Amino acid sequence: MILGETGESRLRGYLYVLERSLLLALPREVTKDALREIESHVRERLTAVPSGGDERAVLEQILAELGPPLRVAQAYSAERTIDEAVVTGRVVAMFRAMWHVAVTSVGGFFAALGLFTGYAIGIGFLIVAIAKPLFPDNVGLWMRDGYPIAFGIQFPREGHAVGGNWVILIGLVFGLSALVLTHRGARRFLAWWQNRRRRGAFSSRGAA
Amino acid sequence: MPIETWQEQLRRGSLDLAILLAVASGPRYGLAIIQHLEAFTDLVVTEGTIYPILGRLTREGLLASEWVEGEAPHARKYYRLTRLGTKRLADMTEQWRTFVAKIGRLIAASEGGRA
Repeated sequence: MILGETGESRLRGYLYVLERSLLLALPREVTKDALREIESHVRERLTAVPSGGDERAVLEQILAELGPPLRVAQAYSAERTIDEAVVTGRVVAMFRAMWHVAVTSVGGFFAALGLFTGYAIGIGFLIVAIAKPLFPDNVGLWMRDGYPIAFGIQFPREGHAVGGNWVILIGLVFGLSALVLTHRGARRFLAWWQNRRRRGAFSSRGAA
Repeated sequence: MPIETWQEQLRRGSLDLAILLAVASGPRYGLAIIQHLEAFTDLVVTEGTIYPILGRLTREGLLASEWVEGEAPHARKYYRLTRLGTKRLADMTEQWRTFVAKIGRLIAASEGGRA
């Protein structure tokens, strides 16, 4: 069966939604290849159908058996992003994988939130280390009534900052430690998540 | 655990082996793999989820893929077993047979005990 204008438009719509969903988690070249393969699948199915039938019904049946575009994209994302993150440990892949985990389940959301917090703390300490030589009077341990109340950067100053170059050392040590530990923890968590998902349930036909 | 969940775990656990078996006799493109699986099993519940698994098996080096133009009005992406994939398939097949035999013995013993 060769699709008419309406059928082509419906197929383009399906592929467009799939493309937008895939691009949230996958690199552009991987998305392009996946789209080409899915389109090839649909056109292959269509060639097996004799011309003259109900084009709309045939196409809807093929797309239903393929699965909703969001679900197909989620399956691609699950297979690809977490694998890449666990194997390579690259920062971009890790963030993509954690994003996927965060939007997949409530538990994943809180785990990802914890990991993002770890990264944020690490980056915060590094910013303090970098800012200290640039703004020596605005960075350090902040004291009030003889007690430390905060560690970091203040603009404008609302107290007295204590600390010399050791602030840089603390910022670097704590910052790098937090980043390394969080990154290792994230990688282990994703490996565990991946194994659990492969062992676990997968929704059946018809589930969106 | 509901029986459906257990069935789904079985399905997912055996899908990699089934896909490798589907291309063991020679290269196949995605839809041909799906149709082969559908002919022998009910492992494929949503066709679109097979392609990501094919992609993963390719990244793991068990399959190699190649786009072929000119066979049909549209290009087809063929998958074939690599040397590593052939070895993995032999290992998985052996382990599967052992597993099934052990569970079979367990079931037989259980049925014998009840009789």
